[in-house]
Amino acid sequence: MSATFDPLMVTIAQAGAPAPMAGATLAHYLFVSAVMFALGLIGFLTRRNLIIMFLCTELMFQAAGIALIAFSRFHLNHTGETFVIFVLTVAAAEAAMALALVVLLFRRRESLDAEQWDEMSG
Amino acid sequence: MAQSILILLIVVPLAFAAFLAWMPRKHAPAIALMGTSLAALLGVYTALIFDWNLSGRFQLENTVQWLPSLGVALQVGVDGVSLLLVLLTLLLGPICVLCSVTAIRERIKTYYGWLLVLQAAMTGVFVARDLILFYVCFEFTLVPMFILISLYGSTNRRRAAIKFFLYTFTGSIIALAGLVYVAWFAAGRALPGSSGWTFDLDILMRAAAELPPSTQAWVLGALLLGFAVKVPLFPLHTWLPLAHTEAPTAGSVILAGVLLKLGTYGIFRLAIPFAPAAFAEYAPMLAGLSIVGILYGGLICWVQTDVKKLVAYSSVAHLGFCVLGMTAGNEIGLTGSVLYMINHGLSTGALFLLIGMIYERYHTRDMAKLGGLAARMPVWSTFMVFFVMASVGLPGLNGFISEVMCLLGAFQASDNWGSGAWGSVADAMPGATPGLLGPWYAAIAGVGMIIAAMYLLQLTGKVVWGPLVEPTGHGHGGRDHGGHGLGGHDSAEHSTAAASHAGGHGAGGADASHTATSDKPHLPTDLTPREIGILVPLAVLCLALGLYPKPVLYAIDGSVAQTANLIREAGALKARPAGSPQVEPAPVEGAPAESDGKASAMAEEAAGSVAAGDAVTGGPGR
Amino acid sequence: MTATELSTFTLTLASLVQESGHAAPAHSEPAAGGMATLLVPVFTLLGTVLCGLFAAFKVKSKLPAWTTVLLLAASFAAIVYTYATGQGTTSPVIAHGFDWISITWGEFGSAGHGHGIAANFSFYVDALTLLWMLFVTGLGTLIALYASEYMSHDVGAGYCRFFAAFNLFVFSMSCLVMADNFLLLYLGWEGVGLCSYLLIGYFYKKPSAVAAAKKAFIVNRIGDLGLALGVFLIYVQFGSVEYKAVFAEAGRYIDAARAGHFDQIPWQVQLIPLLLMVGAFGKSAQLPLYVWLPDAMEGPTPVSALIHAATMVTAGVYLVARSYPLFLCSETALPVVAWVGTLTALLAATIGMAQFDIKRIMAYSTVSQLGYMFAGLGVLTSTGAAFHVLTHAFFKALLFLCCGAVMHGFAGQLDLRKLSGVWKIPGWKVVSVGMLIGCANLSGFPLTPGFFSKDMILAEAFVTPGMAAIGWLLLLTAGLTAYYTFRVFFRVFVGPVEYEPGDELHAHDDHGHDGHAEAHGTVHGHGDSHGHSAATGNHGHAGHFHPHAPGWAINTVLAILATLSIVAAGLYFMGDHGGWAANMVHHSTAALPPAPADHAAESGAGHAHGSFLGMDPHAVMYYVSAVVGFIGIGVAFWLHFAGRTTAATSRADALVPKLGAVARAAQHKWYVDEIYDFLLVKPLWVLSHIFHLIDALLVDGLVDFAGWVPRTVGKVIRPAQSGLLHGYAIGMAGGLAVLLLIVLLAVT
Repeated sequence: MSATFDPLMVTIAQAGAPAPMAGATLAHYLFVSAVMFALGLIGFLTRRNLIIMFLCTELMFQAAGIALIAFSRFHLNHTGETFVIFVLTVAAAEAAMALALVVLLFRRRESLDAEQWDEMSG
Repeated sequence: MAQSILILLIVVPLAFAAFLAWMPRKHAPAIALMGTSLAALLGVYTALIFDWNLSGRFQLENTVQWLPSLGVALQVGVDGVSLLLVLLTLLLGPICVLCSVTAIRERIKTYYGWLLVLQAAMTGVFVARDLILFYVCFEFTLVPMFILISLYGSTNRRRAAIKFFLYTFTGSIIALAGLVYVAWFAAGRALPGSSGWTFDLDILMRAAAELPPSTQAWVLGALLLGFAVKVPLFPLHTWLPLAHTEAPTAGSVILAGVLLKLGTYGIFRLAIPFAPAAFAEYAPMLAGLSIVGILYGGLICWVQTDVKKLVAYSSVAHLGFCVLGMTAGNEIGLTGSVLYMINHGLSTGALFLLIGMIYERYHTRDMAKLGGLAARMPVWSTFMVFFVMASVGLPGLNGFISEVMCLLGAFQASDNWGSGAWGSVADAMPGATPGLLGPWYAAIAGVGMIIAAMYLLQLTGKVVWGPLVEPTGHGHGGRDHGGHGLGGHDSAEHSTAAASHAGGHGAGGADASHTATSDKPHLPTDLTPREIGILVPLAVLCLALGLYPKPVLYAIDGSVAQTANLIREAGALKARPAGSPQVEPAPVEGAPAESDGKASAMAEEAAGSVAAGDAVTGGPGR
Repeated sequence: MTATELSTFTLTLASLVQESGHAAPAHSEPAAGGMATLLVPVFTLLGTVLCGLFAAFKVKSKLPAWTTVLLLAASFAAIVYTYATGQGTTSPVIAHGFDWISITWGEFGSAGHGHGIAANFSFYVDALTLLWMLFVTGLGTLIALYASEYMSHDVGAGYCRFFAAFNLFVFSMSCLVMADNFLLLYLGWEGVGLCSYLLIGYFYKKPSAVAAAKKAFIVNRIGDLGLALGVFLIYVQFGSVEYKAVFAEAGRYIDAARAGHFDQIPWQVQLIPLLLMVGAFGKSAQLPLYVWLPDAMEGPTPVSALIHAATMVTAGVYLVARSYPLFLCSETALPVVAWVGTLTALLAATIGMAQFDIKRIMAYSTVSQLGYMFAGLGVLTSTGAAFHVLTHAFFKALLFLCCGAVMHGFAGQLDLRKLSGVWKIPGWKVVSVGMLIGCANLSGFPLTPGFFSKDMILAEAFVTPGMAAIGWLLLLTAGLTAYYTFRVFFRVFVGPVEYEPGDELHAHDDHGHDGHAEAHGTVHGHGDSHGHSAATGNHGHAGHFHPHAPGWAINTVLAILATLSIVAAGLYFMGDHGGWAANMVHHSTAALPPAPADHAAESGAGHAHGSFLGMDPHAVMYYVSAVVGFIGIGVAFWLHFAGRTTAATSRADALVPKLGAVARAAQHKWYVDEIYDFLLVKPLWVLSHIFHLIDALLVDGLVDFAGWVPRTVGKVIRPAQSGLLHGYAIGMAGGLAVLLLIVLLAVT
């Protein structure tokens, strides 16, 4: 361990665990996660279709999940992984609820445009 | 059964509430009545298995683990004081159901369901031996009450409900801060019998004895803010008249009968034991506020034109007496105070019932539109005069003993008695107790007795006596039910001499016996057997408590004496710097026998006396 | 429950209590006994319950009256039995009923602090108690019999209500008089107040009756507060409220008091009687709390006779007599009592002289006579006061019942200007003779019982040093009393036969006989046609009103009372010193303690005694007061009888304008009610409204303000919430971006 230790450059293999993908560092995973998150965010902000927006939120969820797993692996404890399992479970339930709601909303306005709804205005 | 009886008392109403939700609408009152009656019967059973000879100790204790890692448990137990209040709650349960049968015609499932939940929550407060359970139940009473007021109240109900909720909730949050602080403090002490966090009241009380005086004052302030709103103590009372006036009859009865007592009970059970020294020190201030409440509330009553508001403000005045007795901090004052909680519940609850009965008939609460009802409703008037007299504090009825004891307690609680401080010959005064109040407090508060007579006789003088006045077209102003003329209700079995004499009844001889099927309740002129049946138990209790209070006095003497000792010893401790010569504090049964005269040890002993009973029955560490 | 069962029951209870450690004080404990007295509350409570049941079952007969008469007679018998068997007549006995407010904290409380309080439902039976109970139950029985006829127009619900309250009154009175502690006395005290309230307001459709009832209760409550504080002070000072303990403790100070060393007595002890006195003044209608009693005449006359003349209003006198040992310990208490009594006597007499309503005149004379009793207590003749209570009970009940008979017969007519010559109307002999006897008593006509009892007080006032002024004022009052008493007699009972019916004609029962009243509409008009029309003829208007003479019940009762009001004089000559009443008082707490030997020697026998113009007051007072009485009667004769030809006018009419403002003020009761209204009621009313405003605007206003602030803030920032999903999303993303920026900037 030198003085110029940069955790982002340490590969998972170097951290001591068996390396299924030799050479992939934490930074790689985080990069993928960040890209996914950004895609989801941009999609959420720019699209008006409720289904697409919903898919974008899922994308952001999974991005966060990847980051969590990466860190979990990096720190060699399972908290992050456990957490992701929870997130997945909740996301599944939430997906069911959200899609049901979207269907209901669609029935009301015959449209999936998010701009159609402003009932929450203060 | 015996071990879990107290938990059953909470669970039974909840179970019936759930059951009620599944059953058809028309069965709701019957189920609610069954639920509350079953709870009341269980209450009677509890009273039978309770060992009244040891009423100063917590009995029938039971603990169900809840959140063990946080030290929170469903821990229940009752002593004489809490059991009496539980019994009061359980008694009012069926009464509230019965008085709503004709008054509530819409959304009855919601109504009775929440009524049952409310009863469970109130019972929970009184049986709780765990701080979190106490607080949860204490706060949870707000939800059903909020719904009862906001859905079933009269015209201004939304505003009243919101004000009630926000006001009391704000107070409670501050109280929670104080309570959590005590728990945190106790966790830091790690007293024997506790492991880290605990909310066991016994342990907390012993830990609280080590609170430094300045902190005690803060804890007391926080707790009092919460409880004083509930009591309500001047100047935190303004939610009460509004809530009372707008609430449905059963809501008012519960509000006056039990919910206000949560505040005084909280002071008695938590504020005093957690901060006895501060309580002794700030007693004059508290007593001052309660006296202001007595006089100010009483005088406002006097100029009310709304019958229900008058009784509501009278609660402010009455509860002032209750708090005054508590601040006296001696046995007589505390006894009076505890009795007052029960008596006020009975007599004021009954007054609200009576006013509700009038409101159902005439749809007005305006004194100008009601008068001389003795001619029309002799039975109602008899009950009205009876309960007004109970409320005035007529000896022989329940109110008197509590009122006199509260005043006497305040009167005797002065360090100056017999000390020659008032320019008298120093003389042994066997009836005096240490304290910071004194005769002036009692004398000024006693003026409240006169004012009470003024406003309550004003009420009877206008509504019961005098020339007959009835609202014109009174059958058509109802919000819940459409018009129904009173004139035509002289069915053969309900007609009274008054009615038959009065003449001039409206057309139609509609029979009064079809209330069950009609949406428009037709009530006879005077009270129905159901209504009389509601009032009689209360009247009998008022009379019994007034003429033979001994069992009740006996039931609370132990708890009261412990609390009084706690205040007295804490007060004595505060008055004298540590290490100075002390008047020998009498050893208390079960308390640590050794005392090295140092402040902390003394405080421990003072607190120990609270847990004294507990130490015998198995100790707090069970 | 029979008497024996009851006594065994109570005995068991008593033994239990003794076991539970009510430590006996050092003094001699009164023995248990007088168990028969416990039957009085039992009987009367039973009567209340029965009458209540009769009301519930709508009994439409005189059953409630007969039940009441029977039960009260039984109560009287119980008292007579107790007296005849000598229980309590020489030394007090205690009849223990059951534990009432009884609690000790000995096992929990630390020693010496609030060790407990005991106020049991038990009776302290001594001679004073028996004296009072004898006339309370005796008169109660008689007046119940009278009321059975008097109230007969109300048979039905009102009748039951009347007798229920009547029974409850005797119950409360028995608790008041026989209590063995101050709290039970307080129970009776407020209990009689309640019955008074219920019975004054008996004709509850009359607003004036309702107002009078309320006034009586509230004014009494003011006195009750004083009594309550007195009781508190007794408890704090003596650690008990039981007579036996309190009086034994107070005995410690008596010697100092007799010797005049009041500085050795703590002020608390000296304050106690001053507080108790307030209660006594309230209940017994003394200055400044007398204003309720005249208004209380709104009640039915039997009530006025029993409660507001004979029994309840003497409760204050009883209280002072009962706690005489405490009063003797105070330097100021007894002089204050004497002066208040005297001034009340004088004031009420002056008002009584100017009234026209005969019942009101009697009410003021009651106030005045009660003043005599207090003056008697104040000048150290508790004997005279007690005797006067007794004779007054008889003759004042008689007077009221006679007035009631007149009122009953003349449809509620009470104005002495509209009644005349009742004596000569057939069937009114008993009433008239009764009235004459009553008036003779009240005005102190020689050899009547009232003459002797009044003399005892007058003579003692001159005997007691420093109290001569009181004696003169009382003598003056005696003259005024004789005048206004015989004014009534000469106006109403003798002279030309002329009458006019009142405006009631039994329309005043409680069940709204609207139709009934209308049927008598012709009579209604009479209320406002004062005086003038009465001169038109003997039978007043329209000619179809005939007074109906009293029936057997009323006449019997009147005859008995009239007899008693004569033979009671014999009591004065019974026994050795000062008659029967004195004998009774000597064996009770009201007895004056024997003066300590050294004090007697130091003051010298007889030297301290005052005199009446140099003569021995005891000897001359008989003649002096007889002369004063005759002068009063003579003036009344001259002004109201001699040469009077109509009911409405008399020689006095010519005198009134000359007196001007004084007469007017006296007629308006010296404007005391108005002054109270202006000084107390109105300011309080205004204050209440101010409080009400403060409560709505300031106290509640602050609360509402606290709610208003967040709401307003919310309204201002509300448009930020557009409700569009993208708006929130962009906000969130923007916020995230800002946060990231901050983090980055902070790191670098």
